[in-house]
Amino acid sequence: MDIQRSLIDKICKADRTGANMLLDAWGEENGYDRLLQDVLDPVLVQIGEEWRSPGTVTLAQAYVAAKVAEDLMGRIAERSKITPEVRQKKGPAVIGNIEEDFHALGRKMVGTFLYTEGWVLHDLGNDVPAATFVDKALETGARVIGVSAMMLTTARNITKVREEIDRRNLTGLIRLAVGGAIFRVCPGLVEEIGGDGTAANALGAARLFDMLWADSLVKEAGV
Amino acid sequence: MNSMERILATLGGKPLDRRAVAPVLSLYGARLTNCPLDQYYTDPYSYARGQSAVFRTFQPDVLFSPFNFPSIGLAFGSELHFFADQAPNISRPAIGTAEEWDKLVLPDPDTEPHLLFLREAIRQIADECQGQVPVAAVLPPPVDLPVLAMGMESWLETILFKPDEAKRITDRVIPFFVHLANGLLESGATFIVMPCAFMSPAIVTREVASTFARPAMEKAMALIKGPMVLHHGGAPVLAHLDLLMGLPSTVAFGLDHLDNIEEARRIAGPDIVLFGGPCGPNLGRKTATEVEEECLAILEDRRKDAHFALFTAGADIPMSTSPENIHAIPKAAESYGKN
Repeated sequence: MDIQRSLIDKICKADRTGANMLLDAWGEENGYDRLLQDVLDPVLVQIGEEWRSPGTVTLAQAYVAAKVAEDLMGRIAERSKITPEVRQKKGPAVIGNIEEDFHALGRKMVGTFLYTEGWVLHDLGNDVPAATFVDKALETGARVIGVSAMMLTTARNITKVREEIDRRNLTGLIRLAVGGAIFRVCPGLVEEIGGDGTAANALGAARLFDMLWADSLVKEAGV
Repeated sequence: MNSMERILATLGGKPLDRRAVAPVLSLYGARLTNCPLDQYYTDPYSYARGQSAVFRTFQPDVLFSPFNFPSIGLAFGSELHFFADQAPNISRPAIGTAEEWDKLVLPDPDTEPHLLFLREAIRQIADECQGQVPVAAVLPPPVDLPVLAMGMESWLETILFKPDEAKRITDRVIPFFVHLANGLLESGATFIVMPCAFMSPAIVTREVASTFARPAMEKAMALIKGPMVLHHGGAPVLAHLDLLMGLPSTVAFGLDHLDNIEEARRIAGPDIVLFGGPCGPNLGRKTATEVEEECLAILEDRRKDAHFALFTAGADIPMSTSPENIHAIPKAAESYGKN
C-alpha cells in the first residue's frame, strides 16, 4: 500500500499514533522537507474530496486528521529547513466563532487544516462581534473571513458580518465563508445569512478559502 | 383517547384514534408565556407554566422536561451564557483535561439546585397532567455527560487518545447519571429520552461506539427504573442503529429527519417504537402547508406501521417558529387519521 493510502487508512481508523509513526518513517527515509507536499497535502485533499458527501466522515476521524496535521507541522518545524515564513504563503485570512457562539471545536479544526495548507491565519476565538471580524480583515489585508456557528440562532448573527462588510463598501472584496453543523441541517441557510460559501466539512475549508480568495481578486480587478 | 393512552397504545402496537405526535416544544413554552429564558430555565414553576401553555395551544402527546443540558454543566461548575431566544450554552467548561476529573466533586442530584430544578419542573408538569400526558425527561447519556464538565474537544480527545482515562471518567459518571435519571422518573417523568451523540455515526467511528460507548450505556441503562427512548442526537443514526439495539429498557428510537424510516424499521425489528418526522430546528423555515405535507407523507409511508409516532427530529423547535407551522403537525395526524 502506498504511503498516501496507508495514511488515509490510519486516519479513517482514528489511529493518530499509527499515522504519526507512518509519517515519521517516511520522513526519516525521504526527508521531512518533502512530507507536507508529497504526503500530507495530497492526503488531506483526497480525504476532503472523499468525505464531501454527508455521512461519510465522523467528527472523530476529522479530528484525528487535524491532530495528525498538527503533529506533523510541529515535527516539520523542528526538523525541516523550511521556515514558517517561507511555507505560509496564502492569505492572510480571519476566522472566529460569531458573537454568542462558544462551539470552538469546528473552528479550531478549520484553523489547523488551513494552516497546514499554507494559510496565514488570525484566529479571533469565540464570541466575536461582527465589526471585529471586519476590522481585523482590514488591518491584516485578509480577503476571506471565516465565521463559524453551531446553532440556528447564532448562525443568524452572521448576518451582522455580512451587513458590516456591505456597509463599508467591501462587498466582494472581503468574502464571507461560513461553517458549522447547522448549515448541514438547514438547506439555504448560507444564502439566507449572506454567506459567500461553505464547505461540507473542516477538510474542505482550504479549497473554499482558495476559491473565495480568487473571487476577491477577480472583483478587485473588475473583471 | 388521551395522550397517555395514545402513547401506551403505540408502545403496544394497538389501535389508535390517530397517530401520536410529539413536537419538541421544551423551549417554545417560554414564547407562549412571554417568560425570559434566564427565568424559564431556573424557575421550575415558570417552566411548568410554559409546558401547560404548550399543551393548551398544541395538544401534543408528549411534554418535555427542560431540553437544556448546559444547566447540568452548571451543576458541575461550568459557566453558562444565556440567550434571548434559545437554551443556554456553556461558555466556559468547569475543567479542561481528563486529569482534572480527579479533583472534580460530582454534584448530588438530591441537593444541587440546578439539578433539583429539573426534578421540580417535572414534578410540576406531571402534577398538572395528572397522568393524562406523558412527560419525557431529556437527559444526556453517561458517555455524553463529560462534555458538560470539560467541553467537547477535551472529551473527544480523551476518548480517542486516552481510552483508559475515558473509561475511568465514565465509570465515575455512571452512578451520577443513574441517580439523576431515577430521580427524574421518581419525580413523575414517564420515560427518559437520551440524545446519543457519542453513539452517533456523525461523531464517532463504529469501533468507538461499539467498544467504548455501548458498554457504558449498557451498564448504566441496566440500572434505570423506567423506559428509555434513544434519540439520534442531531444527525442520521441509521449506520449505528444496530449498535443501539438490545440496550436495557429501550422502548423507542428517535430518528433523524434524514434517516430512512423503512430501513430503520428493518434494522430495529417490528416491535420497537420509532419516532420520525420533520427537522425541528428547521421547522420555521418552511410554510405550514409544507410542514403538513411532509408529515402526511411520512404518515402515509408508515401506514401499516403500528409502532410509529410522529415527532420533530433534532433539537428544540426554535422560538421564532410560527405557531401555524407547529399546529400543522397535529393537524396532519388528525386529518390522516380521519382518512
